[in-house]
Amino acid sequence: MKNKNSHIISFVLDGEVVDIDFSGAQSLRPTTTVLNYLRSLPNHKGCKEGCAEGDCGACTVVLAKYEQKKIRYQAVDACLIFLPMLHGKQLITVENVGSSHKLHPVQEAMVDLDGSQCGFCTPGFIMAMFELYKNTSIPTNDQIDDALTGNLCRCTGYRSIIDAAQRAGAKKARDHFSQQKEIKKMLGGIHTNNIQLSNKNQVYHKPCDKQSALKLIQRHPKATIVAGATDIALRVTKNHENIPEIIDIGDIEELKKISSSKSHYKIGAGASLESVKAFSKVRLPALHKMLAVFGSKQIRHLATLGGNLGSASPIGDTTPVLIALKAIIVIEGKNGARKVPMSKFITGYRKSQCKAGELITEIQIPRARNGALIRSYKISKRKDLDIATVSAGFRVCLDKSNIPTDLMLVYGGMAEMTKRAVKTEEFLSGKVWNRKMIEQASNMISADFNPISDARSGARAREVMAKNLLMKFWTETTKA
Amino acid sequence: MSKLAHESAKFHVTGEAVYIDDILVNEQLLHGHVVYSPYAHAKIISYNIEEAENLEGVQCILSYKDIPGENQMGPVIHDELVLASDTVTFIGQAIFLIAAESEEIARNAEKLIKIKYKELKPILSIVDAIKSGVLIQPKRKIENGNLRKAFKKAANIIEGELKTGAQEQWYLETQIALVYPGEGKDLLVHSSTQHPSETQAIISEVLGIPKNEIEVQVRRMGGAFGGKETQANHTAAWASLLAHHTRRPVKIRLFRDDDQKMTGKRHRFLTYYKASFDKKGVISGLDLEQHTDAGAATDLTMAILERAMMHADNAYYIPNIRILGFAWFTNLPSNTAFRGFGGPQGMACIETIIDKIARQLKKDPAEIRRINFYRGEERSETPYGQIVEHNRLDIIDEQLMQSSKYIDRRDKIKQFNEKNEFIKRGIAITPVKFGISFTTSFLNQAGALVHVYKDGTILANHGGTEMGQGLHTKIQQITALEFGVSTERIKVNATSTAKVPNTSATAASAGTDLNGMAIKDAVLKLKNRIAIVVAEEFNKNIPKSKLESDEEDIIFVNDNIYDSENTTRKISFKDAVNLVYLNQVSLSATGFYKTPDIHFDREKGKGHPYFYYSFGMAVTEIELDTLTGFFKNLRTDILHDVGEPLNKRLDIGQIEGGYIQGQGWCTTEECKWDDKGNLLNHSPDTYKIPNIQDIPKDFRVQLLEGFPNSANTIRRSKTVAEPPLMLALSCWLAIKDAISAVGNHEIEPEYSLPATNEVILLSVDKIRKQLD
Ligand SMILES: Cc1cc2nc3c(=O)[nH]c(=O)nc-3n(C[C@H](O)[C@H](O)[C@H](O)COP(=O)(O)OP(=O)(O)OC[C@H]3O[C@@H](n4cnc5c(N)ncnc54)[C@H](O)[C@@H]3O)c2cc1C
Ligand code: FES
Ligand code: FES
Repeated sequence: MKNKNSHIISFVLDGEVVDIDFSGAQSLRPTTTVLNYLRSLPNHKGCKEGCAEGDCGACTVVLAKYEQKKIRYQAVDACLIFLPMLHGKQLITVENVGSSHKLHPVQEAMVDLDGSQCGFCTPGFIMAMFELYKNTSIPTNDQIDDALTGNLCRCTGYRSIIDAAQRAGAKKARDHFSQQKEIKKMLGGIHTNNIQLSNKNQVYHKPCDKQSALKLIQRHPKATIVAGATDIALRVTKNHENIPEIIDIGDIEELKKISSSKSHYKIGAGASLESVKAFSKVRLPALHKMLAVFGSKQIRHLATLGGNLGSASPIGDTTPVLIALKAIIVIEGKNGARKVPMSKFITGYRKSQCKAGELITEIQIPRARNGALIRSYKISKRKDLDIATVSAGFRVCLDKSNIPTDLMLVYGGMAEMTKRAVKTEEFLSGKVWNRKMIEQASNMISADFNPISDARSGARAREVMAKNLLMKFWTETTKA
Repeated sequence: MSKLAHESAKFHVTGEAVYIDDILVNEQLLHGHVVYSPYAHAKIISYNIEEAENLEGVQCILSYKDIPGENQMGPVIHDELVLASDTVTFIGQAIFLIAAESEEIARNAEKLIKIKYKELKPILSIVDAIKSGVLIQPKRKIENGNLRKAFKKAANIIEGELKTGAQEQWYLETQIALVYPGEGKDLLVHSSTQHPSETQAIISEVLGIPKNEIEVQVRRMGGAFGGKETQANHTAAWASLLAHHTRRPVKIRLFRDDDQKMTGKRHRFLTYYKASFDKKGVISGLDLEQHTDAGAATDLTMAILERAMMHADNAYYIPNIRILGFAWFTNLPSNTAFRGFGGPQGMACIETIIDKIARQLKKDPAEIRRINFYRGEERSETPYGQIVEHNRLDIIDEQLMQSSKYIDRRDKIKQFNEKNEFIKRGIAITPVKFGISFTTSFLNQAGALVHVYKDGTILANHGGTEMGQGLHTKIQQITALEFGVSTERIKVNATSTAKVPNTSATAASAGTDLNGMAIKDAVLKLKNRIAIVVAEEFNKNIPKSKLESDEEDIIFVNDNIYDSENTTRKISFKDAVNLVYLNQVSLSATGFYKTPDIHFDREKGKGHPYFYYSFGMAVTEIELDTLTGFFKNLRTDILHDVGEPLNKRLDIGQIEGGYIQGQGWCTTEECKWDDKGNLLNHSPDTYKIPNIQDIPKDFRVQLLEGFPNSANTIRRSKTVAEPPLMLALSCWLAIKDAISAVGNHEIEPEYSLPATNEVILLSVDKIRKQLD
């Protein structure tokens, strides 16, 4: 069935195409989260709310996308996605995976190995494990940890859950998702065109290509751009804000491209961080290291690099390392595209060079020239799925006499915006890259920054962290 | 059968398990919303709710004036208001209740309520409370021996203070209640509560209606950990008030941030200590002052403080001791129960003392621990006079030291630390001795109600609640074992005050001990009745020459009933049940149990408060990056005493889960407040419970084998529940050991709990500066 109406969204749930027409819907609006939608249905109560902010995974569902004749499965937090983001996809919930009469292998493993106690977190774990089951054969411990980092359990202590994931992954059999002919047909039948949804106090645009998006953004410069919504959704779920106008660029394929040229790596602003993580593993290890501890898999499936830059947060994880990598940000607007060096991109607290009416379209990262040592660091209270207390992106080239050239010491979490430790850099310039100098230099850090105390840490500890990271950088770059 | 899976596991993994928010409702449901104080301490000068009341979709807005009964919901001491009247005493204190057609309307209505406050000075820390605050209840004291003499004779004395932090229970399912009004004043209350009888009592008092009009039901909770022992009452009382006024079903579900802001946590403690010990490290005397932060109401604080005081010795015999306990009023939500119930706070201090003694004497802390254990008759008297019997400490210590290869690993760690400047490893072994029973003796009672239906199926009702710990599974097993039938025959019902009245909270690790025995009592009654009928039946058809069956000889095995003297006489359980019915004999029985021989005199601080002790030990090795403060738990070995285990799978799950929860308390879980009394860590964004990557890379949990409980408990088992949480002190002290390695164990590290990376890095920094 082709969907030509531009004010309706269509997705597959429970083996059927569901159309939602918001102009008529009373209780649903475009920014209704998939979690709240599912919980309003009588037969999908397995999707739980534990936090409504992407931190617990109790609401995990799996989205299936039909691409290049294959179905791809992705676990996401239902509390962070707006209904229109389901358009053209299959929504899979725990009820679809299996029932108490007919358990799916991941469910069976969880029962057999005691993966549940109170059970409230369990459906979310099942969904994250289901995604792992579909995408990874015989997962390693690291893959299991990574797949389940976005799920909190307060009862079990996780060991039993890890065992269950291992067991389910080890003897992989076909499940009832192996044959998805019908679903493929349904998904193939849903048209991707520009969608405009409106209801009560809200207009929601979902352009399907970059040109349409740019036009919309210029026509509605005050509209809120949404990519993965992992920042924006919190305004709805936590602050209960009504966002009057939204332009959702989350499904524009052109913005998701990742490629390499001789001189640069080019990452589409809309590429999911999970795909950027995979791409950067060998090519950009310093970026990869940051992405490995960025949120959770559920978050990285949604979150984009453009979104991380767009929020221009002083604790955005990719900012320091992108500065150290000398990335270039491509911004498109009325007058075409312009390129801004990453070091100039952030202009203040949650402020950037990207103005109303403009869109970040690409991040270009020059291939490091020989000898440049680039490292990234993140200190947070909990190692995984936590926001940085202090983060850093460092770069140095050491010349023959072990003197640093091209030194960049970029810190996040130390000021109202990501900043270079200018005085410390100056001090080190021309000095030998040895421990004594580093120790002296680290005393300059207090001259560079005046950090704050907050929920994550006190100011004094932040200062110690910043100093320690410099020392760590030195230990990792010095020749033994 | 001791390997039965959780009775709800299949429902958990498929999303079929019904939690309160999953109960199907229709559009007649109203959404309850709580308007709470944004000030820690203020006078309410005036307020106006008219505009909010007039908002379309708002059904009612209630203030303290609309409470038909008592404006109070304190469980023990009546010092906790349902709704604030003229003064607010903490941020998160309820002032108004809104019932509206949707959550959104309720939130919009809240914005229209205008309240004028006059801010007053709050007390927000224990230190400030000690300086200029008030005690919430009179101080407590436990004393034994002659401390003055011990200190005088002592070879060594150490003194210091220890801070332990608050901990949020962080049950996955936030506080919730759904209330259906019936005819007259009837209310059916679905509450996520550990204590349905008290929830019923509080609602009864608040609404001024008798208890027999109120039924409280609990199928399961999505986690509780103590956080729903008393404070589930609040949500239930608020929802009941709204349902009572509107005569419509009302649901209140706290939003995560509100739950974290409004409800109490594990009590913070500040303990001042002074200890004397000899050259070998044997402790001769201990003087303790425990100060805790009660919050703005008493709640369970005194019982928690009492348990902290009675666990200040942990596993160690201290002949001369004085423990003073102070609970201070602060302008924060009333702190409440959390797994361990004061035990962890008490133990953290004595473990710190032992650790320090070891460092001072340059000995392995494992050795100092060992020489101080309770042992034999001479070293068996606790500060409160109970004798430690059936002590398993030495056995566990010996087995665990061996199986964990502690000594070898300590050597390897030493070598590792010599080679690495910034990465350090640490190891620690810590014991737990935990007293089992409510220290308020009369609470140690339980009831049950067992029905057998004509088709041979059994419905077991008991007073305990299921929060994930597997209580219903164990009750199912006990019922099956006692009846000699398969577990498939048995369903354990949702807990209901209409089935079993006047119950105690499912707490103090006593759920199975108490309710299991009550169930057994009911089953025995039924078996006796069935046996009489069956014996009669057997005797009907036997020739005169043969001996008659005696009801005493009737046995229940494998879903059949036999005469043990003549096993050819047999009837299936199902047929027997039908026979009993036809004989007009009741197939329903109540059961009751009270724990024998326990008592405690609060005034004197002496008695025999515990039915038995639970023992366990853990060895944890960690690796610390002293530049980032990140630690990795490399390996944890646990040996824990659960007597004759009822269900090994569940018990191991409880041990692992408890340990990880304890690790959270010891490391990444931190509650901070600003100078206005706002909780800064009010969501999982900033409040970090352990995640899957934080658990030991190698996690080995063993149950102590061959030691059934010497106390007469159900099937000689011991509870698991709380004690394993405290095993995580081994992780906390392993981190300290790694920090200490930075100064080559010559410098006593500055340390507190939780050991966040902030605490770790500042401690390391200080040691490095001292070394320079
Ligand atoms: C549970 C959780 C964990 C998180 N963990 C981390 C973490 O570890 N590290 C971290 O740095 N962040 C983290 N975040 C924050 C967030 O996920 C990231 O900032 C993410 O990169 C945002 O991307 P998005 O596509 O979801 O952005 P969105 O929410 O869609 O948008 C974010 C902002 O960027 C703007 N924007 C988006 N795309 C563009 C574009 N192409 N051009 C111009 N403006 C644009 C939007 O208008 C908005 O202002 C976390 C968030 C959650 C909920
Ligand atoms: S509800 Fe916690 S991640 Fe969605
Ligand atoms: S089983 Fe209770 S939170 Fe995971």
